[in-house]
Amino acid sequence: MDMIKERYEVGEKSKRLFEIDIAKDSLIDTISFLMSHTDFITLSMIACADWIEDEIFVLNYVFTTSNRDKNLMLKVSISRDGEVVPTVSISSPQAEVMERDLHEMYGIVFDGNDTLYDFALEGWEGMPPLRRDFDTLEYVNENFDFKGGRDDNKDVKAEVKRRKAEAKKLKALKTEANETEANEAKEAEEVKNNG
Amino acid sequence: MDNKLIKIYHGPQHPGITGNMSVELDLLGETIKRARTHVGYLHRGFEKLIERRTVIQAFTIVCRLCVPEPDPNEENFARAVEGLVGLEISDRAKYIRVMVQEMSRIAAQMLWMGGQSGSIGMGTVGQWSLYDRDLILDLFEELTGGRVYHMYTYPGGVRRDLPDGFLGRLSELLDYFDKKLPKYDSIFFDNATFKQRAMGVGVICKDEALQNGYVGQALRGCGIKRDVRRDNPYLVYDKLEFEIPTYDGCDVYSRAMVRRAEIKESIKILRQVIEQMPAEGLIMQKIPKHRKFKLPKDDIYVASESARGEFGYYMAGDGSEKIRRMQVKGPSLIHGYTLLENLLVDEELSNVALIMNSLGICPPEIER
Repeated sequence: MDMIKERYEVGEKSKRLFEIDIAKDSLIDTISFLMSHTDFITLSMIACADWIEDEIFVLNYVFTTSNRDKNLMLKVSISRDGEVVPTVSISSPQAEVMERDLHEMYGIVFDGNDTLYDFALEGWEGMPPLRRDFDTLEYVNENFDFKGGRDDNKDVKAEVKRRKAEAKKLKALKTEANETEANEAKEAEEVKNNG
Repeated sequence: MDNKLIKIYHGPQHPGITGNMSVELDLLGETIKRARTHVGYLHRGFEKLIERRTVIQAFTIVCRLCVPEPDPNEENFARAVEGLVGLEISDRAKYIRVMVQEMSRIAAQMLWMGGQSGSIGMGTVGQWSLYDRDLILDLFEELTGGRVYHMYTYPGGVRRDLPDGFLGRLSELLDYFDKKLPKYDSIFFDNATFKQRAMGVGVICKDEALQNGYVGQALRGCGIKRDVRRDNPYLVYDKLEFEIPTYDGCDVYSRAMVRRAEIKESIKILRQVIEQMPAEGLIMQKIPKHRKFKLPKDDIYVASESARGEFGYYMAGDGSEKIRRMQVKGPSLIHGYTLLENLLVDEELSNVALIMNSLGICPPEIER
């Protein structure tokens, strides 16, 4: 860790999690340095977050030590509009499929990775789905039909309103009936007393 | 016939895998010359869904990322949120979480045993092990209300306390497993058919195992002692005594034996949990504005050891109630692509399901 601290500004997130912000151009150099001079030899994950308000994607290359006791996040910010990133699959073959995933979900192009074909989606056209400006509702309205439901399907809100009104009416009727009954009983009692 | 390859698809429906995934194979006779994994049959867009949800809303779907073992997902999710907001949980809640993790580990190994034996036509083992898995699911149902998906481990602790006498019933089940494991040895692990089929098959290159990011039994079956519970301890794993079993055959048989030993270690851990669990402690920390819980603008990476290896989560918050980004990296992503595509080359067609199963590939966590 000391060697890394000498060369880079290391942020300490917790006892076992560190982060370094680097520029895209120094990505390959940094990874070669990590893998040849330090114990961070395993690429565990490439996580991407879309910060649309800053117009950037942040790629987090999570590296793990050979003892699997510490993790280091290399953070690379790239522009959201089609900036090309060099592939790291030469030093870490597992990056090939991770980059394929990110290419499909965000449209990021990884230079040198020639396996950027379909991953989980089939023949996807248009905006990649994990970008924050992707409009899910619009996509659903364009591509799917809403089911009409059963023939006896009722509008829930209207039905609740109708039932409430019915209950209110019933209650009013009941109160009226009770009042009439009480009045009648009273009148009968008065007649009895007078008579 | 020389140099004429036949292309076949292995899957997406196949007992060799939990879920749907296919492997495109180029065959020369019975021998595989090239393998390419295809996923996409189970893509449910969880990561996109989570971006629109608050913590309490997202919590209900993270367990659905992986059917055989949903609990490491809940654990990772809870720990990522706790890490972001700096929430400490009580010792009792930690012990309960360890208990859930280990019960889930045994259940997952039982399910694996059914798949692994089924891949070579040994149907009886699966009948036994799925019955035994159900006994754990009974306990899960009592504890959480759900058999497969539990939605129990929540940021700040766990959702409810243990029912009366639960630890006693768990202890009885562990005694039952202790008696049952030797029977599994005779029917499966020491079975001559299984040994002949599994030894020397699916041999992983030990030198590249660490650097290529292989995890779980793929590493421990190569004699490399790595386990997140020990190397990067979370919850109370640093207070518990357990071994990390390794075998150095690098083949399917070694991986199976590692899993066999791990069931025993999980039983050992559960017994310690029963003994050491504090009688009192907050089950759930008091969280202000529980339903509108805000995550700070920060990010975190957490990992835990699932029954199949290291399970990692990346989570980022942006100061609002919604989770800005959550990305999942299960053991299957690297095992299902980088490792499987290499391991299958020059193997026989009949060994595909056997090898796939030994790596514990679970497609839903590949495509999320």
